[in-house]
Amino acid sequence: MIDPDALIVRLPELLPEHLARQRWSGAHDRTIEDVELRWHEVVSPDPLLIWTLARARFGDGEVQDYQLFLGARDATALPEFIQGKDREIVALIAEPAPGVVVYDALVDPDLTIAVLHLVAPEVVVEHRRPIVLEHSNSSIVFDEARILKIFRKVEPGPNPDVEIPRVMAERGYDHVLPSLAELHRDGCDLAVLREFLVGSTEGWELARASVRDLLAGGLPPEESGADFAPDAERLGGVLAGLHLAMADAWGVEPGNAQRWADEMGANLAQLVAGIDREGPAAIPVEAIDERFARVADLRDAGAEIRIHGDLHLSQLIKTDAGWKVLDFEGEPARRRSDRFTTSSPLRDVAGLLRSLHYVGAVGLGEWGAWDEDLQDLVSQWERRNRTSLLAGYLGTDGIGALLPAEDAERDALLAAFELDKAVYEVIYELGHRPEHVNIPLTGIRRIVQDEGAP
Amino acid sequence: MPGSTPTAVCQPGTVHHRIDPTDTRWFQRAVFYEVLVRGFYDSTNDGTGDLQGLTDKLDYLEWLGVDCLWLLPFYDSPLRDGGYDISDFFSVLPEYGDIAHAVVLIEEAHKRGMRVIADMVMNHTSDQHPWFQESRVDRTNPKADWYVWGDDDQRWSEARVIFVDTEPSNWTYDPVRGQYFWHRFFHHQPDLNYDNPQVADAMLDVVRFWLDLGLDGFRLDAVPYLFERDGTNGENLPETHEYLRRVRKVVDDEYPGRVLLAEANQWPEDVVDYFGASGDECHMCFHFPLMPRMFMAVRREQRHPVTEILAQTPAIPEGCQWGIFLRNHDELTLEMVTDEERDYMYTEYASDPRMRRNIGISRRLFPLLDNNEDLARLFHAMLFSMPGSPILYYGDEIGMGDNIFLGDRDGVRTPMQWTPDRNGGFSNADFAQLYLPALMDPVYGFQAINVEQQQRDPSSFLHWVRRLLQVRKSHPVFGTGSFEVLHADNPAVLAFLRRDETATILCVNNLSRFPQPCELMLEELAGQVPVEMSGRVPFPPIGELPYFVTLAPHGFYWFNLQVPGEESGPRP
Repeated sequence: MIDPDALIVRLPELLPEHLARQRWSGAHDRTIEDVELRWHEVVSPDPLLIWTLARARFGDGEVQDYQLFLGARDATALPEFIQGKDREIVALIAEPAPGVVVYDALVDPDLTIAVLHLVAPEVVVEHRRPIVLEHSNSSIVFDEARILKIFRKVEPGPNPDVEIPRVMAERGYDHVLPSLAELHRDGCDLAVLREFLVGSTEGWELARASVRDLLAGGLPPEESGADFAPDAERLGGVLAGLHLAMADAWGVEPGNAQRWADEMGANLAQLVAGIDREGPAAIPVEAIDERFARVADLRDAGAEIRIHGDLHLSQLIKTDAGWKVLDFEGEPARRRSDRFTTSSPLRDVAGLLRSLHYVGAVGLGEWGAWDEDLQDLVSQWERRNRTSLLAGYLGTDGIGALLPAEDAERDALLAAFELDKAVYEVIYELGHRPEHVNIPLTGIRRIVQDEGAP
Repeated sequence: MPGSTPTAVCQPGTVHHRIDPTDTRWFQRAVFYEVLVRGFYDSTNDGTGDLQGLTDKLDYLEWLGVDCLWLLPFYDSPLRDGGYDISDFFSVLPEYGDIAHAVVLIEEAHKRGMRVIADMVMNHTSDQHPWFQESRVDRTNPKADWYVWGDDDQRWSEARVIFVDTEPSNWTYDPVRGQYFWHRFFHHQPDLNYDNPQVADAMLDVVRFWLDLGLDGFRLDAVPYLFERDGTNGENLPETHEYLRRVRKVVDDEYPGRVLLAEANQWPEDVVDYFGASGDECHMCFHFPLMPRMFMAVRREQRHPVTEILAQTPAIPEGCQWGIFLRNHDELTLEMVTDEERDYMYTEYASDPRMRRNIGISRRLFPLLDNNEDLARLFHAMLFSMPGSPILYYGDEIGMGDNIFLGDRDGVRTPMQWTPDRNGGFSNADFAQLYLPALMDPVYGFQAINVEQQQRDPSSFLHWVRRLLQVRKSHPVFGTGSFEVLHADNPAVLAFLRRDETATILCVNNLSRFPQPCELMLEELAGQVPVEMSGRVPFPPIGELPYFVTLAPHGFYWFNLQVPGEESGPRP
């Protein structure tokens, strides 16, 4: 048996390096000064499972809390599940002999079930598989029937990704996945168990397949087999339904156009501060500013309601029971306090429209040919799906009450949110995928040159 | 004259049957073959196929491996509705032969291990039927209440007109009797009055007559409409279900092992009622929406249209089975689907000229698939592995085409193409005498597409279908096993398990015209070895990691999952 106390006292020195290696920590390019355990608990003694909230303090003085489940086993015989999981190994402690391996318990089939039972003690499961490649959380699928989402970055208070689907489901909106069980501590949401819908597909993947089919076939999008427009129209309806249900649940305020314009301006200023305006990523700052200024001048800005805040095609899955909206946490790069929890519903619409632009551009890029005919096809595809999505959204009964009454004002506001999203994308791409920066730049250029839709 | 007398003598009790009379669940595992007597083989050289001709071709069907023939109506009829307008339930249309020919056909099929079911129209008769001729004379004759008569044409206005293109009303005035008669279909097909106990009994006598002759069951045409009630649309009424339970009881008590297959062109959640709450109505029902959803899935290159409809399909009672098909002699029409599905189909089809072109037109499988044989193989692989008993349509096993210029439904009812010779080997009559012209176009004509050529060519589509049939038939799990969709990251891949206590089969289908990779989540089956079922090649064992397969365009795999050490077969 491993002495838990002896291990726990060593964790603050072991964890900084471990955290820096994790994709979900967002700490790979930052310096962790130190780590302290806010609280810890021994969930099971053998094999040892420690559950803890670790607070990392960064070089710039910021702090971030991370939820960790750590397993520890005798190092003489490394269990098979740990083979090839170097990133998940926290440390190999040689002394005292025979030594101990400390690892992320979510790679351990037995301990994963112990974690599940913290959330839902009564659930009986046989099989589990982790979902790889997640940005800010860790998820595990049990028996292809349930999915446990463990929040890694923990912030005080309720997590909107738990709260919003729960409230929406209670109100009869069925395009969310309600909680089967939740894990809380000190008022924080730490994990949520939901139904896993077998055979579901991300909207991004379906739209990608549609673009691929378009480029391979060379036919106009409406004649191309994998036409996405029917689903785009459905998605518009799903989103409008979500906004109506959210307005109903959390109330409706008159839209504050001045504040929205200020937020957009601040976002733009951050971008301008960070880049070389004369360089290849030339940004028409004045023209953008002018569009944002129009927002401040709106006579009728529509409503301000609680919104999704980070809607794009990967946050929507198609299931046998229709489309479902996921991930209500907001833009992961922003702290929860800085995310747009309330705004015009058009901010979400703009997010999806930007996503449609991306999917076409990425598809064209992957196709590897830039001839004009193919570009034109992709533009047609985007226009068709934009139109369908907006038709589904604006055609939903009651949604008009949340939007500027005049079409021209509505379109101006939507275009400004698209611009704002594209500005955010430029910042993101410059930091992460510079080869993609032309996509949001094209989006910006289109709008400020009054081309509007592609 | 050849074929004028049956070529085999029926001597009940002496014929060696290869049918197991104690097997009352055969239909759950069977592969059906829908055959048009008129179009299969002409033994009398009058230009029209006949029962003796079908008997002559039973060896071919046995070779192909089908388990049960489904015959379209062969009863006496003025043929104003393809024989669904029956003028005598107890006799055979003279062009097809006589009762003796029917008995020989049944006996010869049984000898070869094949069963035979036939269409039966319960709802109505031809207006030429003696019952109607008698009923219309006056209001007091013995058959006066055998049909549904009324003094005006206003009653039951809630009942929709099914054939809206040709029929203005469900009522037609009969000048002889001076009253209106009720008909849910054509005005020359008066509905029988099932509220009259004599009618209900008479139709049971019809059922008994054919089952006594050895027929293995019926496909019951247009069953939802037997009764009429005020304030209802006259469909799926409780009285109709009660009568079907009565028919079923006759079958169970007097003819165990015979089967009732309901044609109810309705949505799966409504159709299940025709199985009966405890499986005490029809043994089988058609699953209509699966077929158009399969076409949609391949068109969209994603599995969702298929998995959605299967998720919406309710469980059916023990001892029942769906009948599934790629094509049959009728078409899915938008009238038969729910509002939601109609919206779905319109949304999906409305802007797609290619798909819209085919709505409401009867096409055969190959023309619908642009003569793409890889795609036709994928469709058959899906048909033979999905939950239900597959029903093949005659000619599709050789990839026959259609003739849309014949209009209505005749385009898919052209003569079976046996050889490259005159009339495709269907008949020695003059070409001009054929009931419909045999196909002679350069792609699908009988010189290009025929049984003889494909039987000689071991890599033909016909041989491929036959081999697939053999694989399916040797694994009853395809008929009765559970159906479990697997999670696959690639939306173009439809993967599922068919499973029972004895076997687990993994089916993986690529709905895309491009090669596709796929990771399958199979850790539950870790340690088992997938053995590909056509070549028996073992694939790498399933491990803890997602199982990776690559698929050719429109490719598919059937894997038999085996636990190592339990493989059958001799060892050195």
